[in-house]
Amino acid sequence: MSFNLVNLLLLLGIFTAVVVTVFLFEFRKVQVNLLKREKEMNQRMYQLSILRELGERIGYSLKIDQIVEIIAGSLRRLLDYSTVSYILVTPKPDGTRKIEYNINLEKPVNKKFIDDNKKVMLKSLNILLGKDFQVDDLEETISGTITDPTSIESVGSFFNVPIVIGDSPVGLLNISSNQKNRYKKEEVEILYTIMNQASDAVTKLQHVLNVEKGKLNSMVASMADGVLMIDNQKQLSVINTAAKLMLGFSGENVTIFEVLDALATTFDLRNKLQDSMREDRLVISPAVTLNNHFFQILISPVKDKDKNFLGSVVLFHDITKEKEVEKMREDFTNMMVHELRSPLTGIKGIASLLESDRVKQDEKKFSEFVNLIVTNTKDMLGLVNDLLDVAKLESGKFQLIKKATPIRSVIDTRIGSFKALADEGSLELVSHVDEKVPENLEFDEHKISQVLNNFLSNSIKFTNAGGKITICAFLLPRGIDLARTVVEQKLVWPGIKQGISFQDNYLVVAVTDTGEGIPADKIDKLFNKFVQLENTAKSGKKGTGLGLVVSKGVVEAHNGVIGVFSEAGEGTTFYFTLPININK
Amino acid sequence: MRSILIIEDDPTIQKALSEVMLSEGYKVYTSFEADGGLEKVANNKPDLILLDLILPGKSGFEFLKEIKNSPSTSSIPVVILSNLGDEDEVRQGLKLGAVDFLVKADYDLNEVVKIIKKYFPKK
Repeated sequence: MSFNLVNLLLLLGIFTAVVVTVFLFEFRKVQVNLLKREKEMNQRMYQLSILRELGERIGYSLKIDQIVEIIAGSLRRLLDYSTVSYILVTPKPDGTRKIEYNINLEKPVNKKFIDDNKKVMLKSLNILLGKDFQVDDLEETISGTITDPTSIESVGSFFNVPIVIGDSPVGLLNISSNQKNRYKKEEVEILYTIMNQASDAVTKLQHVLNVEKGKLNSMVASMADGVLMIDNQKQLSVINTAAKLMLGFSGENVTIFEVLDALATTFDLRNKLQDSMREDRLVISPAVTLNNHFFQILISPVKDKDKNFLGSVVLFHDITKEKEVEKMREDFTNMMVHELRSPLTGIKGIASLLESDRVKQDEKKFSEFVNLIVTNTKDMLGLVNDLLDVAKLESGKFQLIKKATPIRSVIDTRIGSFKALADEGSLELVSHVDEKVPENLEFDEHKISQVLNNFLSNSIKFTNAGGKITICAFLLPRGIDLARTVVEQKLVWPGIKQGISFQDNYLVVAVTDTGEGIPADKIDKLFNKFVQLENTAKSGKKGTGLGLVVSKGVVEAHNGVIGVFSEAGEGTTFYFTLPININK
Repeated sequence: MRSILIIEDDPTIQKALSEVMLSEGYKVYTSFEADGGLEKVANNKPDLILLDLILPGKSGFEFLKEIKNSPSTSSIPVVILSNLGDEDEVRQGLKLGAVDFLVKADYDLNEVVKIIKKYFPKK
């Protein structure tokens, strides 16, 4: 019994010992696991907190140096180290790179420690980027505690983490300690993870920004005004297509230097940018000439909501048209004054001669001078009338007196009154009125005669002796091609173009000559009052040149169309149309 | 007999000027434009030139430049005929070597004669 009890107790003891041992062993295992979990949790918490901090502190900033700074600044919560340092490579506008070396001393180290750190990092960086940067290339910043020349400690252990944005490495983060074998694999890995997450965030943010920027760019690109954006580093960040055209660039990439060069002789952009920035105001330049265009240049500073200067926007507004109109107006006034004064001056001169006895006694001279006065007065009156007509047309006060009028007799009368002038210039003057043209049509006889007078006097003026002038009239039904009808009428209109037809039935009246023709570039300007008068003064031909401007007004007041075809050396046709209702 | 060349595109004004110069006993040459004027200068060597600035074709300025650039004609005095309001042109003309200018509308023909007489080279 006692043996049994002893045995039992012994067995119990052994069992207990085994259980305790096993339990202790298991407990230890659990404890280790727990510790490991706790550590993992800590690391995870650290990751989360640093990412949150990154998010809060950088907001929408994409500045990688700020991000690295935040990571470096928070590392002491994770690791023990002597120094944390980073190198960042950023491209500079001039094509070179800026290589920043930034070291933060957690513990006092000596200069050699820093130098070794630099060398080690540079070596890795060169491998990572495939470059050959030298220590001299580094722009160095040292912060944290002071260096300690007395310290004899050297780098015991370190590790590098690459800094990657998008898919390209842009730098290195380095953790160094004076102790040997200080860093374990997990610690290195966690830093890798954080760096990755941060660069992921930046890459995504950049993508979003690029999309937004793309929208803005396409808007700017489609603008008719030239737009430049110059950032606060004085670099050209945006140039739209219009601006490239205006400045004469054809390539894709344009630098600020090329822009300054293109403007060099005409506009001091550099100084104006500074003025605008310094005085924080919109700078507007007066007209600047560039490649035969006039531009108004506006420069405006751009700031963010905190009034930080972000750059400048330069706008090129093409004011060539306005300038041209302005110049035409000036020329017009000058010419008008000249044209009105010339005949008056002549009249005055001749009239004063009439007083002299010498002329009074010379009957032939006397009548010649009286004739000159009459002619000059007529010229002047013609010009005044034309000017008044133009003024009336422009103010909408031009009035027609329409009544049923026989077009044939109007044409015959015109031929009659120009016969003498045509004979004088050895010109044949004929008419050709199609038999289908109705007897009577509604129009203002006096005004339409004026248009024909103008066409005829122009033709006679610009046709050399031996030439021929034809007045024709025919019907042009709705939708029928004018050129085809002209051929059917057995007429020849030099320079006529196909594809002209109208939405209504028209009577076409035209004067064709075999004269010198009108150059294509002048045809558009024939009906412009400003250009006409100027040309008249220069050509030395008589007449105000306003006749066509008035004619256009007259025809349009009749709801008709006025036009011209011409071919150099062959001749010119001026035509106008009057709407008719054939059924009526 | 002293001679004068009148280059003026307006026939009436030209007529009036030439008539008054004729009555003053001058030999008068006329041209309506610059090239004809240059020809008359070369052929007739006038003692004075009356020059309108706005001419068909070659301008009065170009005429003036050519006259002043040629050694054989540079000494001929040129008086510009101008219109009121052409101050810039007159200034340019004087710079190019014209001796004086007349504003057409301002002068009676007799006054024109008086002024022109001043500039005839003394013989």
